[in-house]
Amino acid sequence: MSSSTASWLRPLVSLFLAACFFLPLYLVLVNVFKPSQDIVAHPAALPVPATTANLQAVLDRPDRLFWYGLVNSVEITAFSVTIVVVLSAMLGHYLARTAGLAAKVTLLILLSGLTIPSAVIISSLTRVLDSFGLMGTIPGIVLADVGYYLPFGVFVFMGFVKTVPVEMEQAAAIDGAGYFRTFWQIVFPLMRPATASVFIFLGVWIWNDFLNPLIILGPDTGTTVTVGVYRAIGEHQTDFGALFAFMFLASLPVLVLFLLFQKSFVKGLTSGATKG
Amino acid sequence: MHRPLRLAALVAAAALTAAGCAAGGSSVSGGGGDKVTMTFLTFETPNLNAKYWDDAIARASAKVPGVTIKKLVAPSIDRTGYAKQLAATGQLPDIMIAVNPNGFAQSGQLAPWTDQELADFTYPHANPIGGKVYVLPFNTQPTPLVYYNKQDFAKAGIAAPPTTYADFLADCAKLKDAGINPIVVGGGGNDTFAATYPWVASVGTDVYQGTPDWLSQRADGKVKFDSPDFTKATQKVADLAKAGYIDTAGLSRSYADTEQAFRDNKGAMYPMGSWFAASADQTKPPFDVGVFAWPSDDGRPTVPAYTGGGMSVSSKAPNVDLAKRWALAFMEDKQNLDASVHADGSIIAIKGYIPPTDMGPVYNETLRAYNEAAASGNVVNAFNSETGDGSLPPGMSDVVNSAAVDLISRHKSAQDTVSFLDAQYDKANR
Amino acid sequence: MAARSTPLRHAPPAGPGPAARRARRWPKVSRALLFAAPGLVIYTAFVLVPLITNVANSFTDLNTFRPSTHWVGLANYRALLDDADFHQALHNTVVLTLIVTILPNVAGLGIAMLLDRSGWFTNALRSVFFVPTVLSAVVVSVVWQKILTDDGLFNRALHAVGVGSPPGWLSDPDLALYSIAFIMSWQVLGFCVVVYLAGLQSIPAELHESAVIDGAGALASFRHVTWPLLAPAVTINTVMLMITGFKAYDYIQVITNGGPGSGTTSTIAFSIVQTAFTGNHVGYAAAMATVMFVGIALLSAGALTVLQRREVTL
Repeated sequence: MSSSTASWLRPLVSLFLAACFFLPLYLVLVNVFKPSQDIVAHPAALPVPATTANLQAVLDRPDRLFWYGLVNSVEITAFSVTIVVVLSAMLGHYLARTAGLAAKVTLLILLSGLTIPSAVIISSLTRVLDSFGLMGTIPGIVLADVGYYLPFGVFVFMGFVKTVPVEMEQAAAIDGAGYFRTFWQIVFPLMRPATASVFIFLGVWIWNDFLNPLIILGPDTGTTVTVGVYRAIGEHQTDFGALFAFMFLASLPVLVLFLLFQKSFVKGLTSGATKG
Repeated sequence: MHRPLRLAALVAAAALTAAGCAAGGSSVSGGGGDKVTMTFLTFETPNLNAKYWDDAIARASAKVPGVTIKKLVAPSIDRTGYAKQLAATGQLPDIMIAVNPNGFAQSGQLAPWTDQELADFTYPHANPIGGKVYVLPFNTQPTPLVYYNKQDFAKAGIAAPPTTYADFLADCAKLKDAGINPIVVGGGGNDTFAATYPWVASVGTDVYQGTPDWLSQRADGKVKFDSPDFTKATQKVADLAKAGYIDTAGLSRSYADTEQAFRDNKGAMYPMGSWFAASADQTKPPFDVGVFAWPSDDGRPTVPAYTGGGMSVSSKAPNVDLAKRWALAFMEDKQNLDASVHADGSIIAIKGYIPPTDMGPVYNETLRAYNEAAASGNVVNAFNSETGDGSLPPGMSDVVNSAAVDLISRHKSAQDTVSFLDAQYDKANR
Repeated sequence: MAARSTPLRHAPPAGPGPAARRARRWPKVSRALLFAAPGLVIYTAFVLVPLITNVANSFTDLNTFRPSTHWVGLANYRALLDDADFHQALHNTVVLTLIVTILPNVAGLGIAMLLDRSGWFTNALRSVFFVPTVLSAVVVSVVWQKILTDDGLFNRALHAVGVGSPPGWLSDPDLALYSIAFIMSWQVLGFCVVVYLAGLQSIPAELHESAVIDGAGALASFRHVTWPLLAPAVTINTVMLMITGFKAYDYIQVITNGGPGSGTTSTIAFSIVQTAFTGNHVGYAAAMATVMFVGIALLSAGALTVLQRREVTL
């Protein structure tokens, strides 16, 4: 194969593979904007003329399933992520800057938490939450999420603290700044990339979480949009338009987040891949 | 200096807000003075959609003042599984509809209905547990009857629906020869129950017809699933599958897709619960639909049916009496019953109730098939739907559903299937 | 690491006497309280305590439908040993984990090498591959379920090109597990592509050039230059994929509910939730959960050790 063949063959092959790969999502996208009867007849056709009737139907549901789900998802994700960032930044910094066995053991226990599947603890977790009267409440699921995702935050921040020269903190301390102030004024701003990683990854994970909201949030407080999709399956088994529209709307926030912060996403993912 | 402080304050404020925040779905108007708020667990299907429930709840609440009902919706059609999950996490709803009480009742989580409360019901003692009734027996559902495509039958040269099992097999052969798939079943995803109906029907004709209390005998250990009668019923289904009379494509279809498949002419016969009648009348398929009872060997018109389907009340409801009053009002409201008949093809089991006169032909034929069996004493229990004493232990119903899929997909032989049921039965009782 | 020294050590001069010692220790304690305690308290309450109570429950016959609970010793674990359903779930989990670890890893590396050029075109395609990664497993499951059901889009397409009786991707008990493995692989593929792409792009071009000058072909260049330098990326992908495969729950719940038939696609995570919440055998489910946790901890620790040793020796 001569190099000139390769130069046009490579993008062509890549494009073809990407197109095949994207086909399932294409099918969802075009059918969101198609009347239901056209979906069955021409599933792969472009939506001409396009209709927003499916989206409108989801937004106007009399039980407001989508809107309640959206409010819950936003609350849960925003609170959980913010709290994890604050707590894990401090804890990560503390552990990175503290010598001794206790810190090492603590770190080990935290890191073992990275591998715990939700299914392992969910049953006992509901009992703990129940004993605090937190089952079926937003604070309950936020606390559960904070605990569950804290190790990831600590892991990311610890890795980053090590790149911040300790002399800087010492200089600030000599100037009379307390530990607390030093951390928030000097160190935390320097860790912006780490903060971005934690924010983005946890944002996506918590938004998309299924088991925790399904079981912890229960029915009392409504659902998240992700559990809402699951619930809509039953009712819209044959109404693909409505189901796809629900899924599209439920995914829209994370998609927008991804498109806006694509660079940070990739950077967060790949920081480990390149330096080892 | 200011930034970190502000941040800290923000975090504190955020935490506080979180603690005091009411979540989205719970915004119930609490304005009504000393009203009691109670939760009511429903489920949604294409027949029973959100509007159906909202309207019915509003009518009941208008009759019973002092109650604010918060509707909960099970995330899938398996509301019993969801109620269990909620009970396991300390959140059992105050009022539930069409939930299998088995297990809940024995552990004292449900309030029994008194004879006085059951006075208006036709079969007040349907499916009792320890002599007490925990589910209002408000309707009877023949499960299944065979709905068939009259056009396909004509095409295959079948003049009248079969009355004996031999006829039935002959008709299946004719349909298949005419290039028509004889039997439509479902069973994909969460809807494995849709695969069970040929089996439930065979158990009706070959087991329950001769031994009505067979399942109680199983509970007492007097019979087992691998006894000859149950094995024969199971073998019938295996043979139907083997002969290619049941389209296995259905095993990946959800319940609604299954109904759609029958409507789309992907098979001539659709063994399904009587609720299909409502759907068939509401949106008529592009062909006429007939109904017959799954034939027995000797031609007796055996109809498996389940009576119950109504409300249960949690023994820990904030006000059990009020909850019961509301539940009864919901059940006995004429408009609610009419809506249930219209939407779900219910055969109401409340004294003096007369169904709406504008019911469609499929519902009327369903009613006729049921009444015919009832008049000749040929109504039997619907296997896997029973909820009273001696019924399947908790969790076993799912096992039966998936075993039906194994049977039809010929993943397990009839003999293996019945042995499997025996093993799982013992495990579920452990 | 030099960064260990704590910046506050020098604040008050050390002196004799308990008061002075208290003064010196106080900031250390307050620092721990302020920085470490909040996170650790929440982690303990909502992760460690449930983990420990779970182990405790595994020695009981806890059942939500039974009023009294008894210690049963190792009975639950003994029952697991000859529980065919659990063995099937274990087997399914291993198969799923193997496929989900290998398939996206290999395909991801291939696609990353194909895309390994800079410019907007590569970036755009990279985004295309990455999109499924940010979607929820529930959404992905629903999409593929609609495509792969027997009369779904895929089989209709196969019909159109003349395949008489296409297989039941989700209804054939022998196929469904592989279909789910494929769906999961599809979703995580983008993750692998991005990680490998970054790994590839961090390899200095001079290294390839010098390899070519030394007379190495494309294959040799890959083996001796690319592959060793990709080691950290391989580690990240492999561990991430293993954990994803091992804890599969959402896909099973939404796509097959453990079926078709009895438990043909049931995984350990799925059986735990089913046993605890639908079967009400909480104690028994706790024993399964304990086995699962130990399994996943050993697996990820083992994989990390092996892969990182490889990184060093390469």
